Amino acid sequence: MASQAHPLTRTRLGRALLGIIGVAAFVMLWKYAQSAGWAAAGTIPDPFRLPQALADEWTSERLMPAVLSSLIHYAWGLAIGTFLGFLVGTLAASSSLLDALHAWLARILRPIPPLAWVVFAIAWFKVSHAGAAFVIAIGVFWVNYFATYSAVRNVDSRFYELARAFGQNGHLRQALQVTLPGAATGIFSGMRTGIGQAWMTLIAAELLGVPGMGQEMNSAAGVGAYEVVVVYMLIISLVYTLSDTLFGFIEKRVLTWRPS
Amino acid sequence: MAPILNIEDLSYHYDNNLDPVFADLNLRMEDGEFIAVVGGSGVGKSTLLRCVAGLATASHGNISLHVEEDDTRRSRGVVFQDGRLMPWRRLRSNVAYGLKGLKLTADEKRARVDEVLKLARLEELAERWPHQLSGGQVQRGGIARALAVQPHLLLMDEPFSAVDAITRQHLQDQLLAIWEQTRKAVMFITHDIEEAIYLADRVVVLSGSPANIVLDKHIDLPRPRRRGTDALQKLAQDIANAL
Repeated sequence: MASQAHPLTRTRLGRALLGIIGVAAFVMLWKYAQSAGWAAAGTIPDPFRLPQALADEWTSERLMPAVLSSLIHYAWGLAIGTFLGFLVGTLAASSSLLDALHAWLARILRPIPPLAWVVFAIAWFKVSHAGAAFVIAIGVFWVNYFATYSAVRNVDSRFYELARAFGQNGHLRQALQVTLPGAATGIFSGMRTGIGQAWMTLIAAELLGVPGMGQEMNSAAGVGAYEVVVVYMLIISLVYTLSDTLFGFIEKRVLTWRPS
Repeated sequence: MAPILNIEDLSYHYDNNLDPVFADLNLRMEDGEFIAVVGGSGVGKSTLLRCVAGLATASHGNISLHVEEDDTRRSRGVVFQDGRLMPWRRLRSNVAYGLKGLKLTADEKRARVDEVLKLARLEELAERWPHQLSGGQVQRGGIARALAVQPHLLLMDEPFSAVDAITRQHLQDQLLAIWEQTRKAVMFITHDIEEAIYLADRVVVLSGSPANIVLDKHIDLPRPRRRGTDALQKLAQDIANAL
């Protein structure tokens, strides 16, 4: 390391303390900005009124339905996008014919942002869970497709030779014995990126009208209740952290063989 | 002793290359014989081994392997230069890898794996992941995996070239101990002349372009051999001259 670590950063407690100070400093700055009126009146919420806003959302029974609705979009979009991305990525990387066949199509479709599909989501699925899941799945698909494709392409060919040397022939057998475990690290990191990507798309899709946290944020902003918007922002952060941690845990269990 | 391997007029071209790496190569190997193939880089030693292993296809010529059919064994066992353990399998599972598809019960497979782990002195490490093993242990794991399939012919592609000098000597001695016990036919590729003489019954020297066998020498030194003796040095000099 170029610079020496500060003594406070050497212990867990010290790092936790610094972390808290960082957050507190940000909240103070935020409070100052609010009371000093840095932006148009009422558009900076008071950070100290957030607990009350959270309690109001909870008692008015708007919070849980919105969170659950979002989670439904999230789970379906993530599952479908991940599965299809994995499937197409694996097939394209395993067959030169499929690879060439899909190469141009992928090049044309990939740059289209998932949110551009909202128009069709609404046209085909109306304002529904399916529509939101559809948009999310598209974003997640590309992330997983690329991660899987390159992970499968990059599996060390020496392991295929090893399989042949020990009589393990056949596409399916080598796919299960070499390709999948060899590409697992890359595939998992794609899935993890997809978990984050799905959240980004989810809220944006809901901001455009599908019921869920995004829509709640939109309607709260419409009546100037900006502290409610922040409440939802923090819940989004919390749910993302939970799902990412859970996935990290699963990943660690599945990929036990990796050096830590 | 019966011949186990017969290579006739073998030539090999890399893709899109007009000049063969080696051409019209003939080699006959007896069962139980330990042959070392030496030569400089690029003479196709490893390619020759890969042809015998069935991992590469020669352009011309014929390789015949005279072994009895036995669906509890494989005709060949290959040891790679890089050890090549699959990082996602524990050592035990790596060693058992070649047993998939052989007509053995689960108990028989376990017994095979235990036996070769013991032979390679790896019993204690059976549950480790490859990244938890040293270079020498990985190599022994690769040897154990090849032995587990009870091959008629053991093919070793510069198996000790990537480990340090002290480990290499240990591995050589362990290989000889294993060979004394199993008396398998071994084809051992190396660029190290002294290693070849120390280990083998017969040293075959590949040289030229296209390469061919320029020397095929029986090593009459009694076993167990010692490193660095005058007799060994003299043989090494003869072989170096042939290169």
